[in-house]
Amino acid sequence: MLRRPHLGVMALLLILLGLVALLPIMPPDVAGPYAIKFATRIVIVAMMVVSLDLLIGITGLVSFGHAAFFGLGAYGVYFMSPEAESANVLIAFPVAIALAAGGAALIGAFAVRNKGFYFIMVTLAASQMLYALFHDTRIAGGSDGASINIKPELVIGETSLLDLSNRAALLWLSLGCLVIVYGLSFWLVRSSFGHVLQGIRWNEERMRALGFNTYIYKLAIFIIAGALAGLAGALFAAIDGFVPPELLGWRQSGLAIMMVVLGGVGTLYGSALGALVYNALEETLKNSAVVGPQISDHWPIAMGLLLIGAVLAAPQGLAGWLPRFVPRIGGTNIKTAPMDCAVHAAPVLSVAGLGKVFGGLIANDGITISFEPNKVHAIIGPNGAGKTTFTNLLSGTFAPTAGRIRIGDVDVTSLSVHRRARLGIGRSFQRTNIISAFTVEENCLIAAQAGPLAASGVEMALRATGLEDRRDRLARELSHGEQRQLEIAMLLANGAHTLLLDEPLAGAGPEETQRLTALLRGLATNHTIVLIEHDMDAVFAVADTIAVLVNGRLIAHGAPDEIRADAAVREAYLGSFELIGASP
Amino acid sequence: MSVQLSELAPVAKPLLVCSHITTGYGRATILRDVSLHVAPGETIGLLGRNGMGKTTLLRTIMGLLPPGPQGCILFGDHDITGDRTASIARAGIALVPEGRGLFPNLGVEESLTLGARADSKGRNLWPLERIYDVFPRLAERRKHWCNQLSGGEQQMMAIGRALMTNPRLLMLDEATEGLAPKMRDEIWSILRRVAQAHIATMIVDKNLRDLFDLADRHVILAKGEIVFEGSTDKLRSDDTLIHRWLGV
Amino acid sequence: MELALVQLFNGIQYGLVVFLAASGLTLVFGILGIINLAHGSFYMLGAYLALTLTSITGNIFLALALGLPLAFAFGAAIEWIFIRHLYKRDHLQQVLLTFALILIFNEVQRIVWGSYPHAVPVPDFLSGSIRLTATLAYPVYRLVLTGICLVLALVMLITITGTKIGRLIRAGESNREMLELLGFDSRLLFRLVFAAGTMLAAAAGMLAAPVESVYPGIGERVLIVSFVVVVIGGMGSIRGAFIGALLIGIADAFGKMLLPGFASVMVYALMAVVLVVRPAGLFGRA
Repeated sequence: MLRRPHLGVMALLLILLGLVALLPIMPPDVAGPYAIKFATRIVIVAMMVVSLDLLIGITGLVSFGHAAFFGLGAYGVYFMSPEAESANVLIAFPVAIALAAGGAALIGAFAVRNKGFYFIMVTLAASQMLYALFHDTRIAGGSDGASINIKPELVIGETSLLDLSNRAALLWLSLGCLVIVYGLSFWLVRSSFGHVLQGIRWNEERMRALGFNTYIYKLAIFIIAGALAGLAGALFAAIDGFVPPELLGWRQSGLAIMMVVLGGVGTLYGSALGALVYNALEETLKNSAVVGPQISDHWPIAMGLLLIGAVLAAPQGLAGWLPRFVPRIGGTNIKTAPMDCAVHAAPVLSVAGLGKVFGGLIANDGITISFEPNKVHAIIGPNGAGKTTFTNLLSGTFAPTAGRIRIGDVDVTSLSVHRRARLGIGRSFQRTNIISAFTVEENCLIAAQAGPLAASGVEMALRATGLEDRRDRLARELSHGEQRQLEIAMLLANGAHTLLLDEPLAGAGPEETQRLTALLRGLATNHTIVLIEHDMDAVFAVADTIAVLVNGRLIAHGAPDEIRADAAVREAYLGSFELIGASP
Repeated sequence: MSVQLSELAPVAKPLLVCSHITTGYGRATILRDVSLHVAPGETIGLLGRNGMGKTTLLRTIMGLLPPGPQGCILFGDHDITGDRTASIARAGIALVPEGRGLFPNLGVEESLTLGARADSKGRNLWPLERIYDVFPRLAERRKHWCNQLSGGEQQMMAIGRALMTNPRLLMLDEATEGLAPKMRDEIWSILRRVAQAHIATMIVDKNLRDLFDLADRHVILAKGEIVFEGSTDKLRSDDTLIHRWLGV
Repeated sequence: MELALVQLFNGIQYGLVVFLAASGLTLVFGILGIINLAHGSFYMLGAYLALTLTSITGNIFLALALGLPLAFAFGAAIEWIFIRHLYKRDHLQQVLLTFALILIFNEVQRIVWGSYPHAVPVPDFLSGSIRLTATLAYPVYRLVLTGICLVLALVMLITITGTKIGRLIRAGESNREMLELLGFDSRLLFRLVFAAGTMLAAAAGMLAAPVESVYPGIGERVLIVSFVVVVIGGMGSIRGAFIGALLIGIADAFGKMLLPGFASVMVYALMAVVLVVRPAGLFGRA
């Protein structure tokens, strides 16, 4: 998760901010009007880039259309500026921000459904659409751009407090906004909302299975980032009083991504530094007095080569070179509430006539079964019998083509994954599915956040799974068996009373298998466990009931001894079961 | 550190000699100074609990991971240390990886024949007809796409594809993992035919009984080191070894 | 009605040119996993090669015969110098590096060819028009251009489905490591694919040069449209790129006729609709 910056980095940032703030009161031969304007531009771009890092670095959404919201903010100020008088900042800026946020809501509603490459492309296309709209039509000056004749003023009542045509006023206002945007972003990322965003970046599937409606979270941050970019854009419009449509275009979006990556993704301050370094570099390379006319005439080549060098040599960006804040072991403060392990009595999980057809393939066919609470129910069957499909139907990943699913008396057949998770259905995945960049405790914390237990769930889950002394380890540093334990701990912290475990023992060595089966037995005192597993020794040792699926149908359900004795089961599945027990 | 061939290869000239392999990911060391050899036509069981380095060893032999500063891998008459995976494969080592490495967008016959080539002496011992003879299920499915195969058929496909490269050494990672018992039996009988064809094999599998029936010799890895190397009889007769290193 | 027919022809012709460019893009993304923003620069390279080579040889077809191998070699060189370092990196770094390449290519273009637009002549024997109806004539070169694009599309289809290199390309798309394990040097395959993608974009730029004028930044419009086509068709799908490009071409042509000013908006709106109905594109694997 996002740590607070290293003290040295904070000092550096404060010194930079202080220097910029002092520019207007320095003698003109040290900092002339051009320097002040240049500084203002960097401050504004930094603001925009920090808002982009909320998407790219924090949530993992690589937006290639962020400039659209920057541009919308700028056009917003233009729309609010009358021909012959100045607009009031207090009115024009909120409208500009609202315009950007509205645009982000509209685009985000489509875009955040997509992932990876598609997200990149959808945001790119959407911003190009806006660009085409402003460029090809006469909504706001067309391809010539829009001019604001008189720059906005900040007016309260009748008194003008700040006139943005004054360079110093604009710089100070921008600087203030940057500090607010950074502080707001930092606070947001460190809040429980921000924890979820970071969880989405590393493992969205898990977050959804924990009960978070990730779509809403992603859309929310997309709108927030859009609004912040809109604020930056509104300030930008006040620099020259001129808004060209290119401000919305893909080149601007690309430049913003470049600054984020150059600075170092996911640190917030890194991207602001990236904006500073990029613009300073560009300014230097364009200056023939500094680099000579050979380079300054063809500065894009030098810039391109420098950027390529930076990508190849420093994939972590500038922030990778700066000292990092290292969290104290055991440093996170969690208020431990009194423990309440038996959260709520597990209700019966039952399905009736459940069926699922993929194309022509019948994966599940008329399955009717009920799982009594506080028992371990194993589901076995040959490969391709439909076991994982069955789990996916129970968890809500797939919608069934026939039949009903009930938790207690509640019909959940049409509920989504996260709604079911909130009703107490937790599921593990065939491949271990944890948030590897978080610590053990953070994993549990985020799981608890989605459930009814809050912080008390964390302690309970850590204790129940025996991971207490691992709480400050990063999840990716755990052994395979411990990661499996952590996955179960997350379900417990999430407040699940019914655990759907898909091959929890796959890949576990004998010792780990023993530890995990013991854990399952212990949990069965107050949880319902539905277990899909290939390890027959473990299944017969741990299960209270065993259900056998063959070709999508339930052919037997009963106590282990009954299943062992069932001729149909032996014929269809077990075959050479005696041989599987490996001891020679 | 020089390699004493005589010390590693007591009798026949070995096909594969690995010496002093040390491999790791990042800070973690997975294999520590591992040395082993495989004779031509020999079947070897590579055993060990999860995370003990079996897959890492196979991947290192294939050149997918570096063998460490002292590591040296000889195959036949060639030093293949540091060679590219493709050239190691062409020298005559085939790996059927964990997860099978299928090409979902190729047909069964297309993938089988993709890597088909004669061995180093120009002989083609595994033409398509012979593969279909050994895997009649694949012949039935020749026009299907690879992603339409069942788990067992996928494994057959992966083994068949490896055989068509006419390897002198075939390595299988988790040969029967995730397969239903009946399908496992079928895979084992196929591996028996491969062994009879005098192809050296190195098999990783959790199923000791079947592996004992098939393999001549076993190597046990624990925490990245070889803790046992010897014949099936020697291993079978020593319960404490099995319990200590494999925990069954 | 006749105007509609002309626009249909124009749309198909534009769509086919875009297809050539987009197929290169989708191939490079599907197999190498690289988001190549500099792909538009290869289109621009083609256009300017057409300009220079036509002025030397006097004929666009001779220019094509010389230019395509040059573009192929250029692509292979770019892969060797820059792109191969990106295979293990994430999308973000790919975007950054290829964006930086655009800066460099655009500046090099300005140094070599200058900032003014140029025209590339249509060969004399193709400079006439064909009478389609009593009152409607259509330029011969545009028809020939359409034909050449169709032939190239067919050649590509046969290569992908029926040849060994096509099988390797499809295999490399899903599992590069396995290809190595079967004894194929994937470095070589990747370089070939990147060079082929470069050549396809350059071919599009060269063929279209006599129809459009040649100007700086010509590649960037094609780049964005190509991305739209790839998204509509489904990433990595050549067939999808073909259908997507025709859709875009026709939508653009009729957009210009029916809603001037909103033609580009229509193209993006089409993509939005496709994505809502089929999030993985028309022929994409979800």
